[in-house]
Amino acid sequence: MFASVRSATLLGVQGRSVDVEVHVGLGLPGFTIVGQPDETCRESRDRVRAALLSCGLEWPSTRITVNLAPSGERKHGASLDLAIALGILAADGVVAPESLYDYAFVAELGLDGSLRRVRGAAPLAFAAGDRVVVVAPPDAGEAGAAARRGVRTAAHLRDVVDCVGRTRDWPRPADAPLAPERASPVGRERPAPDLADVHGQPVARRALELAAAGRHHLLLVGPPGAGKTMLAERLPGLLPPLTDEQSVTATMVHSAAGLEVPGGGLVRRAPFRAPHHSSSLVAMVGGGTSAMRPGEISLATHGVLFLDELGEFPPAVLDALRQPLEEGLVRVARARTAVVMPARFLLVAATNPCPCGEGTPGACVCDDAARARYVRRFSGPLLDRFDLRVVVTRPRTDELLASDRSEVTPVVAARVAAAERVALARQACHNAHLSGEALEAHAPLHARARSLLRNELERGTLTGRGYHRVRRVARTVADLEGAPGTVDADHVATALALRAAVPAPRTAAV
Amino acid sequence: MSGRARVGPDHVGRRDATLAALAALPGIGPRRLRVLLAHHDPEQAWAVVRRQSRAAPMVAAMLAERGLGAQVAHHATDGLLATMRARLARTPMRVTCIGDADHPEALRHDPAPPAVLFARGDPAALGARRAGIVGTRSATAAGRTFASHLAHELAGEGVAIVSGLARGIDAWAHRGACAAREAGAAASPVAVVACGLDVAYPREHRELRRRVEACGLVLAESPPGTAPEAFRFPLRNRILAALCEVLVVVESRAVGGSMLTVGEAERRGITVLAVPGSPRNAAAVGTNLLVSQGCAPVTDADDVLVALGLDRRRARDPAWDPRPAPDSEAACVLAALRGTPCTLDELVVRAGSPLAHVARALGRLEAHGWVHHAGGWWEALVP
Repeated sequence: MFASVRSATLLGVQGRSVDVEVHVGLGLPGFTIVGQPDETCRESRDRVRAALLSCGLEWPSTRITVNLAPSGERKHGASLDLAIALGILAADGVVAPESLYDYAFVAELGLDGSLRRVRGAAPLAFAAGDRVVVVAPPDAGEAGAAARRGVRTAAHLRDVVDCVGRTRDWPRPADAPLAPERASPVGRERPAPDLADVHGQPVARRALELAAAGRHHLLLVGPPGAGKTMLAERLPGLLPPLTDEQSVTATMVHSAAGLEVPGGGLVRRAPFRAPHHSSSLVAMVGGGTSAMRPGEISLATHGVLFLDELGEFPPAVLDALRQPLEEGLVRVARARTAVVMPARFLLVAATNPCPCGEGTPGACVCDDAARARYVRRFSGPLLDRFDLRVVVTRPRTDELLASDRSEVTPVVAARVAAAERVALARQACHNAHLSGEALEAHAPLHARARSLLRNELERGTLTGRGYHRVRRVARTVADLEGAPGTVDADHVATALALRAAVPAPRTAAV
Repeated sequence: MSGRARVGPDHVGRRDATLAALAALPGIGPRRLRVLLAHHDPEQAWAVVRRQSRAAPMVAAMLAERGLGAQVAHHATDGLLATMRARLARTPMRVTCIGDADHPEALRHDPAPPAVLFARGDPAALGARRAGIVGTRSATAAGRTFASHLAHELAGEGVAIVSGLARGIDAWAHRGACAAREAGAAASPVAVVACGLDVAYPREHRELRRRVEACGLVLAESPPGTAPEAFRFPLRNRILAALCEVLVVVESRAVGGSMLTVGEAERRGITVLAVPGSPRNAAAVGTNLLVSQGCAPVTDADDVLVALGLDRRRARDPAWDPRPAPDSEAACVLAALRGTPCTLDELVVRAGSPLAHVARALGRLEAHGWVHHAGGWWEALVP
């Protein structure tokens, strides 16, 4: 008469375990679902009924009450369908209630009884805890990456009933057919574009390498056609593959956002997100529905967030980036809920130097007011957070036609990986995240370097905040050049040169 | 009046206030004001526009044009007179009218002279030989440096520098001329502005304008309180051109205010000189065009002095440049930087040295003032 089945629901990037309690008892035939279901959850009644009937199973013509415990939290989505169907069957005596205790069920039901994939299979499977998770075959990869006691797949409700009743064995996940989008060759597994495609621009290439090795935020300034986007797209290829821990975090976020996760079930390569400048605040930081979908900054976790046309983003969106940039996570609070989502990303932004796009001194045709408005948009606190600021220009024709290829991505990536290993072994964090005191310990300055920095500070071209940023970048320069000890004047000079005072201060027009 | 101390509105000369009020009347531009003041003295002209006195036939014909008389009479009130009186009291300035003995001599035979001029500073500044220095507002750092050096040297030779107090080349020409004057040069800077003399435009040049007033002369055709409206700039340019004996364009695009000034100068038969620039420098397109059209090129102050018919008496002081000479590495980078502004990316390619070396050299060059850095662009500051 009563059965309890384990399932899970999604909030932010985390699954929450839900017990679906079903009571089938005396009374007028009817179906009630309680425990704060959302609209999709409520509709599961009709899906479950049709699925049971399609399988040739009986729909009990008595009073059915479904409670989603804990009843204080709101439940979202269709991931509870399978659990509700099995709960009804168990309470009606078709399957033994004890046979379900070892499992958690996370799948949507089709009207024909087939199991469908759900959004957030990875966090949902993780929330199942010490139970075996049953999912639709397309979710096997994602769920398998996060489940602690393994995953079983079944294509149809009847298979699930048979397998839990031990009348046949679970099919192995590998036997399950791949979803069509995973089988296709295009998609995320396409190799990243190669750095050798960039002709000339040695400084911009160097900046990419430094950004990758030390996780320094990078601002590219240049006219349209200078190759800013092309450079940024090549950055993820330079980043080392994600560690297991990073990989699980990234997979959770991608899965919770309903994005495709590569065939192996884990996001292994650094993600690259390039939201358009019309993206809303919610699309960037997350939230929106009551299920709190992760935003672009969370999706870029352990990867690259590329903001093209930085000046065109609404100021509110840019301001919202500041706290995640500092903390590496984002707190999204609403009236009913507050969630914390990961947001440790490498920010790469591109912008024109002014509205007309020409940066060359003397060539700009913008009037002063328009120029000042444009500059005001991204100056100030956000601009301060870019350790590397590089001006790029359109490559000259002879550079474009040059046949000698520059360094290919694997060569640079190997240098980056080596430098990162050195840094992590020394201080257990990336150079960009070194604190002021840690700099003294891990990035000691040679006397020459110190006097160079003192000159800059005295001349007023370097602020106190800029001083630390330059030292962090200089640390990375030294690491890349195989000098893990003292930071020398050349390293500091390079770091200073890669910190262009952009956009041009107003005095340029005086 | 001509007194420098602040005076109350009651002490402002009635003639000055009347001239200012006449110049402030909407519908009365420089041409109509000239007609008005050619036939009537200021007091009489005021009575005429207020329809309290008979107008001379030509003036009557002019005021009859499309309701101009009614419009002018509507605005010519005692209130306007009082406003002008108050403004003149707050910012004392000299007011001269065409035909006055102290109206600038240089404008006497001009085809379109200003009928009324407002002046602050020393009117004797116009007594020296005069050279105009004009150019674009969005100049390169190299162009700004050149303008300031040229003005400094010319002022040292006794040539008054005339310019427009705009951003860019103008401002730096004034700075050079003021610095020379303050160091004891004979010639004073002269500025012609488009707005009223009590209106700070551009706002960041408030201090510079005070400096020019203190050691030279600032002129305006517009009465006090006039905003810098766009149409006033070409009118200002004609006065600027008329006051020059030669006009030097330091940097200019193919079109723009400087080229309008050049047109005004050519109309008056004034010699125009241009500073040639790199063909890849967008701010030198206009000056290169002028050179190709036959303007004499200017590479140093001598060229301007020759155009003025002056001989250079003093030999150039080789030790004038106080900057320490760059070392070989820095000299190599400086050589790669000559000509056009370039980014670090281009500079590394041009110099062919590693980034660290270029960065090190740039740091030294910048500290010693050999290069200028703004917005990610580097420029060499070599004369």
